[in-house]
Amino acid sequence: VALSAEVLAELRGIVGSGNVHDADGDLAVYARDATPLFHHRPEAVVFPADTAQVAAILRLATARQIPVVPRGAGSNLAAATVPLRGGIVLVLTRLNRILEVCPEELLARVQPGVANATLGEAVAAVGLLYAPDPGSRVVSTVGGNVATCAGGLRGLKYGVTRNYVLGLEAVLPTGEVIRTGGRLWKDVAGYDLTRLLTGSEGTLAVITEVTVALLPAPASGNTGVAYFASLADAGRAVAAVIGGGLVPATLEFLDRQCIGAVEAYAGLGLRTDAGALLMFGDDGEPDAVERSMARMGAACDEAGALEVTTAKEVAQAEALLAARRCALPALSRLGSVTMLEDASVPRPRIAEMVERIDRIAEKHQVLIPTFGHAGDGNLHPTVVLPSADDADVVARAGHAIGDMFAAAMELDGTITGEHGVGAAKLPYLSARLGEDQLALLRRIKSAFDPAGILNPGKLGS
Amino acid sequence: VTLQQPELRLSVFDPELLSRCISCGFCLPSCPTYKLTGDEASSPRGRITLMRALQDGSLAPDDATLREQSSFCLGCRACEPVCPAGVQYGQLLEQWRVHQWRGRRRPLRARALTMLAAQRWLVWLMGVARRSARTPNSARQGGAPSGAGRDGARSGAGRGGTPTGAGPGGGPYLMLGCFERGLFPAVSRAARRLLPGLSAPAGQGCCGALHAHNGDLAGGERLARRLGERLPGTIVTTSGGCAAHLAGVLGMERVSELSAYLVDQGTAVAGEVRVAGRRARVTLQDSCHLRNGLGVSAQPRQLLRRVADYVELPGAGTCCGAAGTYALLRPADSRRVLDPKLDAIEAAGVDYVVAVNPGCLRQLQTGLRRRRSAVRAVHLAELLAGAELPASVSTPREG
Repeated sequence: VALSAEVLAELRGIVGSGNVHDADGDLAVYARDATPLFHHRPEAVVFPADTAQVAAILRLATARQIPVVPRGAGSNLAAATVPLRGGIVLVLTRLNRILEVCPEELLARVQPGVANATLGEAVAAVGLLYAPDPGSRVVSTVGGNVATCAGGLRGLKYGVTRNYVLGLEAVLPTGEVIRTGGRLWKDVAGYDLTRLLTGSEGTLAVITEVTVALLPAPASGNTGVAYFASLADAGRAVAAVIGGGLVPATLEFLDRQCIGAVEAYAGLGLRTDAGALLMFGDDGEPDAVERSMARMGAACDEAGALEVTTAKEVAQAEALLAARRCALPALSRLGSVTMLEDASVPRPRIAEMVERIDRIAEKHQVLIPTFGHAGDGNLHPTVVLPSADDADVVARAGHAIGDMFAAAMELDGTITGEHGVGAAKLPYLSARLGEDQLALLRRIKSAFDPAGILNPGKLGS
Repeated sequence: VTLQQPELRLSVFDPELLSRCISCGFCLPSCPTYKLTGDEASSPRGRITLMRALQDGSLAPDDATLREQSSFCLGCRACEPVCPAGVQYGQLLEQWRVHQWRGRRRPLRARALTMLAAQRWLVWLMGVARRSARTPNSARQGGAPSGAGRDGARSGAGRGGTPTGAGPGGGPYLMLGCFERGLFPAVSRAARRLLPGLSAPAGQGCCGALHAHNGDLAGGERLARRLGERLPGTIVTTSGGCAAHLAGVLGMERVSELSAYLVDQGTAVAGEVRVAGRRARVTLQDSCHLRNGLGVSAQPRQLLRRVADYVELPGAGTCCGAAGTYALLRPADSRRVLDPKLDAIEAAGVDYVVAVNPGCLRQLQTGLRRRRSAVRAVHLAELLAGAELPASVSTPREG
């Protein structure tokens, strides 16, 4: 159903005619994000320039019962930004200014359309660190990171997005502008709406400004690589590292298939005959980093590592981390459809979970390479399909994913560690939360969004 | 993949190339037009979504967004090196333009330009009118820049371009380039001073890059093959754009861009470019297709460091907006892309900005002149050979 000419005219009145797109081609482009197999065209794409315009659009949408899906760079992997019910895609890329970087208070204020890496560079220029570093950091926006509570490679030591959001400006679907939290580390006035909105996937309010906490940038860092015959051996090394009192900045693993794909892409000279690769690293004062690296190397040796190497220079360490970040797209060389999941399990159960994933892959006859964050138990089993056209293989992939979620929950894990529920994982949410909690989610949703216009068909719907 | 009839939708793109993209979006921040608009439709991923919609028929062949976005794209291929899935966007774009710009739909200016460039007699005439680009400078001995300036360069004799040190099958050859020999004949002359062993026969014709990028892929390939037959050995070119196109058709081993060739051959490049009694400060603007298509970016920098103080230009690897015919077809967008580049060049505090492609050279010269900037744009060959630098500054001395 196309929006009426009247609604389009009102939208154009709010943001200017060049900032409302409704041609077929423009709608086709916003029918998808980074998730395969989920497509639905919106009826208009609107590019607001400021908070007031966002508020006016939402008031209009609530009055006319038009779905609105907020979107940053569209790098979501759970179809959270796919406009399943049509309506308006609200693109926030024009809100792309870093408003303030304040070294005295260790914070920055940014608009939601700023890319994570752009913020990272800006604060690094004054010796500071914005810690959350999702694999998509060069493209994904801070607003999207907050809306999904994005994680990243540094989760174990530094936590995830929610640990760095001090305050938000957000527009309610009914048009009111609220400011939650602020510049304070301690502030318990009221329910913690900052945390509630963090990870709300655009279903409760549209985030228009974010105040984030910064840290002094660590003086140095290093990364090493250990190869193991099996993931179980790598798991023992991880247990020894954490059990030994270390909280490393990096603890990532790749299984055999992922090693091959990343090596084929990045050509770093990784050992493709190993059963598992563990990437470990730390940051801080140089002598502390050196001690930590030595202890982690020793833990890997004791767990039966085939080989342990430490990067000799910064560039080499960065290349290793960059290679890990591109594991997903590198896997795409194995097939044209990649369904990246992010089930998480308690850390000691990683090897067990990967074994189960391998069995599930065998059972359903699909390819599922797995990589992920060994430090926090967040796995990325990735179902790789030759093509989306084969309905049979797509169905088998769906069954495999269902089985993986069930396996993760049996091991006290969850269906999503950092990508979010979106549309792709909504069918599994009740198994994870239970009916009572799901009903509470719905009541929260309707308190924020009585007309049910914000990202319908997602969380709380 | 040639499209004769628009209704044969499925043949617009090579399906294998089109299926590579997994829509991760890692390309978005590298794209100059996405940077301008923040609009998915003008990003590489968005354009691939459009191509897929064209291919599967979910958008009409004459859809306005398809038309606009295929033309708004600079074709700089900055999205390729950052794509971990290895999508060959440049090839997809060429195939797309074959469809979009089929027949009379091709912009008039693009039609005129490619038609002219394919006329050997015209290219030849331009060469005569502007003094032959093939003329080596006999005032120079070897590759090292000497003290001779503009006048020295002009005193060159020895027409005819007899190859010296030619290999068995002839060559290596200097490709003269149709655009370059018309606008910048001094560039080829400078290249011949640097590499006197290159032969530069007449009647080379056009390499076809312009055609391939402007909706005539078949014509572009045909011209490249013909050039390959006329210059049947290693082809050295002073144009990054021609190098990438030729390498794509004839193979990487046949084609070498000047800076890569100089570095590969270990050619002695010495001397010093001086300005106002001191060593000149220079920066480089990459050629997009040279950098993104052929992976050549270290070599020109390496050479510049030998003769001047080199300053890295922030964003040197991003498009200057020349983009082949783009500056002619979409002048306003071209300037929007160029303006921040000019700001960066002026802020770099340099005497020269060096280009490795004639289109970039023209774009930078025009832009800097418009601003009455003190910075001069020159081609790498000219700077290295010390030839025909603007008369207001001194030229390189013997090293």
